[in-house]
Amino acid sequence: MKNRLRVLRAERKWSQAELAERLGVSRQTVNAVETEKYEPSITLAFKMARLFEARIEDIFQPDDNSNPET
Amino acid sequence: MDKSTSTSVRDAILGYGSLIVWAICYLGALLLLREFQLQGWVRIAVALLPILPFALFLSMVLAQIRSLDELWRRIHLEALAIAFPLAILLLMILGLMELATGLSPNDWSYRHVWIFLPIFYAIGVVVSVRRYK
Repeated sequence: MKNRLRVLRAERKWSQAELAERLGVSRQTVNAVETEKYEPSITLAFKMARLFEARIEDIFQPDDNSNPET
Repeated sequence: MDKSTSTSVRDAILGYGSLIVWAICYLGALLLLREFQLQGWVRIAVALLPILPFALFLSMVLAQIRSLDELWRRIHLEALAIAFPLAILLLMILGLMELATGLSPNDWSYRHVWIFLPIFYAIGVVVSVRRYK
């Protein structure tokens, strides 16, 4: 799963720690999501979407080979 | 100090405090059972004494885990998933080595395994943290 979290955060000039605080998670979690080592829960994804005033699919995009219908 | 920091400090004090109380109770029970000629139900009561502080310690650990965010909960779950099979592996090897070489129970036996459990857990945490770093 790819995501645009780092780009969206950079646009708002937030540090990872700042974003983590706004989301109520640890900085490590933000870093792991940004580096695509960890896929957040749907609850956290919704929090991110709400925070960035975007849809979840605007932040997260499945990898080309991860579509279950193909 | 903000509210969340003071809550964390309080939780840490309660957590480590209950761990220290448990350790003192355990060592105290060990000393009493080894060095004093206690009789009957007193021996059993002393042997069961560390359960109470350990229950407190356990509740503190659970509260701590529940307060973690989702990544850290996963890290601790993976640490358990590593530590548990490692403990089984150690038990299996100890059993087989006992058959193969006749290990001295004073040096190596099942009652020494518990010492390795926190070490296995720590290994699990390190492995899992590195994965998400």
